[in-house]
Amino acid sequence: MNETLRNIKTRRVVREMSEEPVEREQIETILEAARWAPSGGNLRPNRYIVIKAAETRRLLRLVAPGMFQRAPVLILICTNWQVVEAHGLTARDRALLIDIGTAAQNIMLATHALGLAAGPVTSYSKEAVRIILNLPAHYSPEMFICIGHKAASARQGMRAWQKITWRDLTHWERF
Amino acid sequence: MQADWVLKEDEAIELLALLITSARIQMDEPAHYGPLRLLTAVERLSSLIEARSSQKSRGFLQDNIERIPDMHMLMSDVEAYTEGLDALCRAVAGCLLRHSALEDEA
Ligand SMILES: Cc1cc2nc3c(=O)[nH]c(=O)nc-3n(C[C@H](O)[C@H](O)[C@H](O)COP(=O)(O)O)c2cc1C
Repeated sequence: MNETLRNIKTRRVVREMSEEPVEREQIETILEAARWAPSGGNLRPNRYIVIKAAETRRLLRLVAPGMFQRAPVLILICTNWQVVEAHGLTARDRALLIDIGTAAQNIMLATHALGLAAGPVTSYSKEAVRIILNLPAHYSPEMFICIGHKAASARQGMRAWQKITWRDLTHWERF
Repeated sequence: MQADWVLKEDEAIELLALLITSARIQMDEPAHYGPLRLLTAVERLSSLIEARSSQKSRGFLQDNIERIPDMHMLMSDVEAYTEGLDALCRAVAGCLLRHSALEDEA
């Protein structure tokens, strides 16, 4: 199978990571993959905050009930609302959410391609994260991607609600 | 004599943070995430008190709480998840009895 397609198919969310650190160069490769994600109107309103300091990561985890990992690196995808407003867009524009999704997927696939593990987290208090990171008012914290090495003891992911194939998700032509 | 503490102040505040932020995010998330958040807090509390717990609780904490992450994996199987929660309720009731005077009277 083609390498890229194999990478897409074999990526799984990892919720248990080891303490082993991630190289700076690997983080930069991952951030570059995020930069190449498609963006509505090519506006690129996403900004990325990389958090490596142990105490900051500990505090963030305390306000993020959905963060089961103790990951050595967190990448927080933010929307920069100055960019959004400069182009006359509003919060109702769903392209902003899609931009977060395309970047998140590039980050997770790049991480997997480097042999590392990734897990997205949106279950956290945005207000508490804002305080802990001292975010400027025009940044909103949209999604964490936890990055590290899969723990040897890691469990399998959540069991699926139902078995699905691409055929179950697809209609051809018209209704 | 019973020790009059099980948590340090920092640990208690950390648990409060988890519960408060869980309350907030539950406003935006599916109802079945509620048990997951409460059990995450249970795990956190258990990990903080296990080493200092008495014989009356230790077995309960060690045997039951460690199984919670495996239980979450079953969340999509409502019956199995409910049975797991029932088993946990039975175990905590047993633990309560060991801590209460009722057990001594029997
Ligand atoms: C928008 C979004 C938000 C998510 N938030 C969380 C989260 O807060 N915590 C978590 O453990 N997983 C989170 N996930 C991961 C999903 O649960 C995971 O992708 C799904 O169970 C499928 O698993 P897989 O990606 O390994 O195939 C999120 C995924 C997406 C796309």
